[in-house]
Amino acid sequence: MARTLLVVVLALLLFAALATLPLFLKAFYIRVGLSIFLSAGFAVCWWLLAGFTAYYSFGHTAFVGVGAFAAALTLRAVAAAAPGLQLAAGLLAGLVTAAVIAAAIAWPILRLRGHYFTIAMLAVALVLGEAVSAFPVFGGSAGLSLPNIAPSGMRVEAFFYWLALALLAIVMAIAWIISRSRLGYGLAAIREDEDAAQMLGVPTTRFKVVAFVLSGGLTGALGAVYALNLGYITTDSVFRGSLSLEMIVNSLVGGMGSLLGPVIGAAIMTGVTKLVLADLLEYHLAITGLLIVAVVLVAPDGVAGLWRRTRR
Amino acid sequence: MITLLQTLVNGVLYGGILSIAAVGFSLIFGVMNVINLAHGIFVIGGAYGALVAWSTLGIDPLASIPPLMLIAFILGWLCQRLVIQPAVQRGNPVAALLVTFGFTLVALNLLTVAFSSSVRSISPSYSFINLRLGDVSFDLVRLVAFACGLLLIGGLGSFLRFSRWGRIIRATALSELGARLCGVDARAVYALTFAVGSAFAAASGVLIGMMLPFTPAEEVTWTVYAFIVVTLGGVGSLGGAMLGGVLLGLVSALTQTYLGGVFTNMVMFLILLGTLLLRPNGILGSAFKASR
Repeated sequence: MARTLLVVVLALLLFAALATLPLFLKAFYIRVGLSIFLSAGFAVCWWLLAGFTAYYSFGHTAFVGVGAFAAALTLRAVAAAAPGLQLAAGLLAGLVTAAVIAAAIAWPILRLRGHYFTIAMLAVALVLGEAVSAFPVFGGSAGLSLPNIAPSGMRVEAFFYWLALALLAIVMAIAWIISRSRLGYGLAAIREDEDAAQMLGVPTTRFKVVAFVLSGGLTGALGAVYALNLGYITTDSVFRGSLSLEMIVNSLVGGMGSLLGPVIGAAIMTGVTKLVLADLLEYHLAITGLLIVAVVLVAPDGVAGLWRRTRR
Repeated sequence: MITLLQTLVNGVLYGGILSIAAVGFSLIFGVMNVINLAHGIFVIGGAYGALVAWSTLGIDPLASIPPLMLIAFILGWLCQRLVIQPAVQRGNPVAALLVTFGFTLVALNLLTVAFSSSVRSISPSYSFINLRLGDVSFDLVRLVAFACGLLLIGGLGSFLRFSRWGRIIRATALSELGARLCGVDARAVYALTFAVGSAFAAASGVLIGMMLPFTPAEEVTWTVYAFIVVTLGGVGSLGGAMLGGVLLGLVSALTQTYLGGVFTNMVMFLILLGTLLLRPNGILGSAFKASR
């Protein structure tokens, strides 16, 4: 109990410290922090499903895209409202739409296991991406623009920094609570041996659906923030295979074994990309690729796993 | 009626190319149980190899297929031995997938630096020739590419069916443990499989380069198409890859003619999803290693 309290207090202090940073930092570094929080948030959402159940989704960008377009269309409908209300409406639209779509596909798609689930999620993302670009409601190839909802008098990058940080905190809190709940233990049992878990009375289907819908819905909410921050979205910018891959890569680089893994991975990968490789744009992809190969071969349990191993 | 006939002909010819572009992927997926995200880069690499041979040395693309296959074979062998096998040994199926992705990023970057990201194409002297049979026209290049594709698939099929190494590959695919108990060096088999798969990817790339314009970033498309063809036809089955490719080619051509070009990809992806949900083993797939 005391340990739980300690973790909560430490986490709150850390987030409070992070929240004060925009007061000192230059705009460029605030934007780097913002990208780290967003990609960490996405990675944690993906990890909510994959880390607990070992169902590796290859198409989570579907939920980013759905959230982004839902937010954009909703903001169009409530263009006259106050910025605060607009933000709430956009976030809610992203969350709910993505969760509804996740719930609609959950039952058929979660019957598939292993590689087949992975490919099916890729197909879902591709179908949704193609559908969005084929129908003119979504702006076609021209895309949709979103209003600037940052309150006047506040720096835009600082506003989105705080927004992304708050969402990351919420997502991590949800994941942490799940990991300590009956649901979390049930999901871990599914990861270790789904058939055995089912025989022992774990409601595998229900648990998987819950994890899938949570993961998708939260990804959608983050997708709404992602879109608001971009200010202008097209099918290619939000239904992007590389977004799905980033979630996977960040989680594996950081380590799949714990909640901190995806966050550490996102911090490393995004940090390296934005800070170290900013001057090496031409070879950026190759270096990222080498980094991925190196991590998989040298630190198969990710950076978090490496740290655990040295402590032992 | 003529439109329908022409569409069907185009579909079958395109489908042949889709088939040959997927056999390497199918072999690797079926035998090693690895989703090879580097497949598309080997395809596009083959196209660029043919472009270099054709534009600097004046070699006909078809003549450049054997040497390019040899180069891709060696590259694939090295790639498997140095990078993929260590990842496979980690036991995590996603580790192998990620490593192929990392390899793809490096190769894509090098290709882009070497050739820039602009659109290239190969047009030997006999391109733009049309043969007519009644009112139906056949693109000569596509016809030739189709024939070459069939020849290559036939060659691979007889290699797997009749040669000693082919038998060993099939045995390892069925049961790695059983094969190893019979004295098979499974690691060598996997390296050989990956090398053969890469060689066929490169060969298909040459054929694709003769028919369609290409850029380095096209590699994603060909990996995804290989995915769809293999899932539709059945993992690890050559007949499945051919059937899946031709069906997909037909669907693609029919959608393009009767629904419009925007919908071709959507319909193809829907078919992938539908196959996965209704018959995950694919049309000709049996309970192969990867489909369990």
